[in-house]
Amino acid sequence: MNAVSQAAVSRLAGKAESRAWPWRGLLLPLVLLAVWQAWGTAAGSVRTPMPTRVLMAAVDLVGSGDLPWGIAQSLGRVFLGFTVAALIAIPLGLAMGSSRAIERNVDPLVESFRPIAAIAILPLAILWLGTGTAAAVMIVAYAAFFPIAINTIAGTKRIDPTLLRAAATMGLGRLATLRTVVVPGALPAIGVGLRIGMGVAWTAIVAAELAVGAKAGGGGSGGIGQMMFVFYAYSIELNRIVVCMIAVGLVALALDRLLRAGMRGLMPWAAP
Amino acid sequence: MATPKTVTPGDPGRLVMALVYLRTMAVFIVVWAIIARWTANTALLPTPLAVIEAFIDLARDLELFQHAGISFGRMLLSVAIASALAIPLGLAMGLSRKLDAFVDPTIEVLRPISGIAWIPLALFIFGIGNALPVFIMTYTAFFPIVLGTVAGVRDVDRRLIDAARTMGVPRRTIVTRIVVPAALPSLLVALRLGVASSWTAVVAAELIGAPSGLGYAVEWYRELLMTPQVMAFIAMIGILGYACDRTVRTLAVRFTPWAVEMRPST
Repeated sequence: MNAVSQAAVSRLAGKAESRAWPWRGLLLPLVLLAVWQAWGTAAGSVRTPMPTRVLMAAVDLVGSGDLPWGIAQSLGRVFLGFTVAALIAIPLGLAMGSSRAIERNVDPLVESFRPIAAIAILPLAILWLGTGTAAAVMIVAYAAFFPIAINTIAGTKRIDPTLLRAAATMGLGRLATLRTVVVPGALPAIGVGLRIGMGVAWTAIVAAELAVGAKAGGGGSGGIGQMMFVFYAYSIELNRIVVCMIAVGLVALALDRLLRAGMRGLMPWAAP
Repeated sequence: MATPKTVTPGDPGRLVMALVYLRTMAVFIVVWAIIARWTANTALLPTPLAVIEAFIDLARDLELFQHAGISFGRMLLSVAIASALAIPLGLAMGLSRKLDAFVDPTIEVLRPISGIAWIPLALFIFGIGNALPVFIMTYTAFFPIVLGTVAGVRDVDRRLIDAARTMGVPRRTIVTRIVVPAALPSLLVALRLGVASSWTAVVAAELIGAPSGLGYAVEWYRELLMTPQVMAFIAMIGILGYACDRTVRTLAVRFTPWAVEMRPST
């Protein structure tokens, strides 16, 4: 894929220069699609994925409601796990960011677990919680926890100490300072953490559902990752797998845009 | 030695920090041991001692290192391939707006599709074996590296380039002597992100579609319900992931001592 696109780049870069720029952006994807279609036609097998067949499969999957339902199931798990992660990570991050003592004592734990990928603890999650929603939620929560916590800590630490001293001078208590100075000050960083966490969570759910499908014998609990695995292992429908991949990408994009827009609405002063 | 260290007053020494670290981990292990005693089920939650024993046994059999070596080798290969593709492309895209407008939309279309989502299709194309994890990891590492390189090249101080141009420096020399060194710090940050994300992907890829490697070993021992071994391998994944990150960070300090830690890690 990459080799193809690079070859296409060097071949076409010269020609494209003379065109208006919006066309230039569309050109490469269109060329790639055309090459793909031509290759699929040449390969001749009925199963070979190609753009027209993918489109038909997409219409099928959306029309039958399978794909929207799978996405809804996965999204439900993501939101559940993400909420759990945020509820633990934000208070912990605020505490660690505002108190050196807490940070020093808890940080070793956070840093020790951070390099362990969420997928790596999937076997443990299956062992403890079975192959259903609970295990998937645990993976999502684990994955989303670290970016949220780390950004919250960083945001809390970066608060201008002058503001904290001013609050102390005016006799504000710890809780009032937290509410009126620390949280608003750290909010932009928390927002970044949430956005990264959401992206990680969505990747993790697809991985978790795929792996659960692969290791629990397909039965199971639904969701888009699971759907992909069923198409791979049981019905061998590559076109449908490609549809699911595109759906995964679109949902990732939509989640990111949604959080960005939400942040811009909530804190216009710190929009990325 | 030459690297400058910033020590803020009141910062506790290394020894104190190490002791605090050990204390926290000791508390963690004691709590874990108590819970494990209480559940009294090795398959569900083994004691820390059992996990350490399993770790030592696996290390003595070299099984631990075999799987770790395989995973690590795949990761190195993938990052090397991804860099070989992404760094030149990123440099070119950063230097030429036209090329950027041409290639960037394709990258932005593919990027949201996580490497893991490619696993079923890649399983079909490559089958179970070495090629699958390498493909998935290369794909995963490619995007942070290319985007970081583009951003790094864009951030190069225009005045440096203009100055060089005024003095009649040829374009190639500008690239090799100004753009590349100036973009190096963010390139290394990008590389670090690439390594981290591909290490996450290796486990997923091996868990599903490889006959060897750490991800495979974790899943293998889960099926046998040998939980101490599962945890030992999970620990190894963490240790190696940490070591990789440290190595890239050290490289960054060594090669670009002028760039202080660029961004908070995410």
